[in-house]
Amino acid sequence: MNTIMRALLATTAFVGVFGVVTGYAQAQSIAIGIGSEPSTLDPQLRDDGGERQVNDNIYEALLARTPQGDIVPGLALDLPTQIDDTTWEFALREGISFHNGEPFNADAVVASIERAVDPENASEQLAYFGTVTGAEKVDDFTVRVFTDGPDPALPSRMYWMKMVPPVHAAEGDIAEEPVGTGPYKFVSWDRGSTITLEANEDYWDGAPDIEDVTIRFIVEPGTRLSGLMAGELDVIVYLLPEFAASVPQHAVVGGLETSVIILATDNDATSDPRVRQALNYAIDRQTLADSLFLGFADVAKGQLIHPEAFGYNTSLESYPYDPERARELIAEAGAEGTTIELMGTSGRWLKDRELVEAIGAYWSEIGLNVDVQIEEFSAYLRRLFDMNTRPDAYFVLNSNELLDADREMSFAYEAGLGGASNSDADLTAMIVEARSEADLERRAELYDEITTMVHEQAYDVPLFNHQDIYGMSERMIWQPRTDAKLIINEMSVNQ
Amino acid sequence: MGSFIVRRLWHGLLVVFGVSLTVFVVTRLFGDPVSLMLPLSASAEQRLAFAQQIGLDQPLFVQFLRFLGDLATFDFGQSLWQRRPAIEVVFERLPMTLMLIGAGLGTAIVLSIPLGMIAALRPGGLVDRIIVSTGLLGLSMPQFWVGLLLIMVFAVQLRLLPTSGMGTPMHLILPAVTLALTPLARLTMLVRSSMIDELNQQYVRTVKAKGLPFSHILRVHTLRNILISFLTLTGWELISTLAGYTVVVETVFAWPGLGLTAVQAIQRGDLFLMQAIVFVIALLIVLINIVLDIIFKMIDPRIDLN
Repeated sequence: MNTIMRALLATTAFVGVFGVVTGYAQAQSIAIGIGSEPSTLDPQLRDDGGERQVNDNIYEALLARTPQGDIVPGLALDLPTQIDDTTWEFALREGISFHNGEPFNADAVVASIERAVDPENASEQLAYFGTVTGAEKVDDFTVRVFTDGPDPALPSRMYWMKMVPPVHAAEGDIAEEPVGTGPYKFVSWDRGSTITLEANEDYWDGAPDIEDVTIRFIVEPGTRLSGLMAGELDVIVYLLPEFAASVPQHAVVGGLETSVIILATDNDATSDPRVRQALNYAIDRQTLADSLFLGFADVAKGQLIHPEAFGYNTSLESYPYDPERARELIAEAGAEGTTIELMGTSGRWLKDRELVEAIGAYWSEIGLNVDVQIEEFSAYLRRLFDMNTRPDAYFVLNSNELLDADREMSFAYEAGLGGASNSDADLTAMIVEARSEADLERRAELYDEITTMVHEQAYDVPLFNHQDIYGMSERMIWQPRTDAKLIINEMSVNQ
Repeated sequence: MGSFIVRRLWHGLLVVFGVSLTVFVVTRLFGDPVSLMLPLSASAEQRLAFAQQIGLDQPLFVQFLRFLGDLATFDFGQSLWQRRPAIEVVFERLPMTLMLIGAGLGTAIVLSIPLGMIAALRPGGLVDRIIVSTGLLGLSMPQFWVGLLLIMVFAVQLRLLPTSGMGTPMHLILPAVTLALTPLARLTMLVRSSMIDELNQQYVRTVKAKGLPFSHILRVHTLRNILISFLTLTGWELISTLAGYTVVVETVFAWPGLGLTAVQAIQRGDLFLMQAIVFVIALLIVLINIVLDIIFKMIDPRIDLN
């Protein structure tokens, strides 16, 4: 080996080592492209995905979830203990302070809870913790939370409620300057463009890997994709299935959304259970998942309940694709040529219109006359909440942020509420009972009974558990979460 | 002149009022901000409480009176989406849009005159044919598509410019070019055809015969004659850009202007913000028209403003 070669090798080795060393020494920074700008940075006011994607890194709740969805302690020392039917006690972690120096203690928790449920604030999040009535300090690091009735889903709710520093919340500009206990601190908000965060070196669970984060708001999916392809962004959300193959890396996780068609059990066209079962047999769900969603959707197993949610019935299976059986059932019910109205919307959810139209086509094939109505989203919602004119069938995508079956029950099946299309008093009684059943085993049994009944009577046509797709740059290491939270503390880069 | 301006302003206010009224009715009839803003699972009580909070539980008539009262004080209420005064959001975003329009339309104006004149010098010649066919191409490509194409080439492939967003002058280049394309094509076509017409006029032959240099004829005589039609079209392009093109271009380039804000306001059923945006845009359009009329009068005193 000659000298030149040796010198060259030595240089290469040196540069290599130097590169690695400086790689460690340099501040790691990444850029993330999200789909919408936060409406505010007040963490207790809105039901806003953009706000959550930022604030989930700045604020924390008493409870947290693992990436797989299991509830674990967050700012609480342990899972809560139940004192009685309506009282839960939380022990708090000690020695934590908010980014502005305010201490995290029982007073902060009580103030946070009271602020979140204060009717004066008219928080949109009351939809998540409407059962919480208040909280009380027991000692400096013990708090009791009260509910208006037995509420077994309280832990799920507390995982949703972010803890705020009381002085700043009362006197500071919390809508523009978020101050939490989380792994990242707020740096700046350039309205319309970006929010920047920096690592909280004093984070109670250890300083995060990535030090500087730029979050950009890019509404148009094609533009987000370009940002990733041009190397400007490291993570982008809501990647379309057709782009998954062309990005440097994509990561997939079963998301929070389940699609379903709710059938009106009191309408003439859909009152016969045989017709409703036929509507289930008529659809080739796997083919739709493969063709329309390119495989980024799993066929829902005979229920709307999210697979990770409490109350999921593991014994159910989807109705198989069996057009013969469907035609037989239609014939038995004497329903050939019946007109069925199927309502959907367009542009709200991924491929919502295409999916509804495909289902309409499947239903036509078993001898029904399908009247597909694609409504603009406002008109769709008005119809959805109108209890007097239920569409025979409507398509909806349910998102279960709390991962508790009560969410689906109160939205889709409890008579007279939200999007329910039945007047089944027995079903509603069971739903109400399950909602406040404190014995978890009994509660799970109740949900099994409900979901089995709904499945057999075909109150609905469950479709898919939709997957979330993220695009990532080559250097990113991250496994996305079931609850769709964008936790930067769980990300790292390999260069 | 003074009475003219007063009269036009008065008419303009009527127009703005009419537009605001239309937006008020349309947003109330077709949108339901309560359902759009709250999660699907919100209870009926929560919906009602929210409607009360933003005053949408009142009869339409009462809402309208309140709307008129607020309009007089330039108060458009709180943006439902951002929970701050709607007019504040508009004034925060308007400069971004004006910057983009200035760069885009400015480029179009500056380039269209020489390009149109060069093409008109020898109609049917090679240069003319290149300019005309490129112009047609520019007119027939949708801006949405052009924007994405430019991003693919200059940002993703060549990595010369940023894909989207705002910050440095570099960020302005691609959206401005995309915005400039359609007006540039149309203005160039106009300069070309008016110039061809002018150059065939008798007076041009006369001044040529008198021995004036051709460049002098172009600059002093013909250009001044086409100025009125050029400004008319420019005004029209300015209005279309303000009220339309920017919506598309800002969305594609994530440019935080009024157009992108309008799209998001509509998606979220933020009717107060929509009202504020439409009001300000309508007001700007009225002002643009008045300013144009005044300029016309200054260029050609024969124009009767009455």
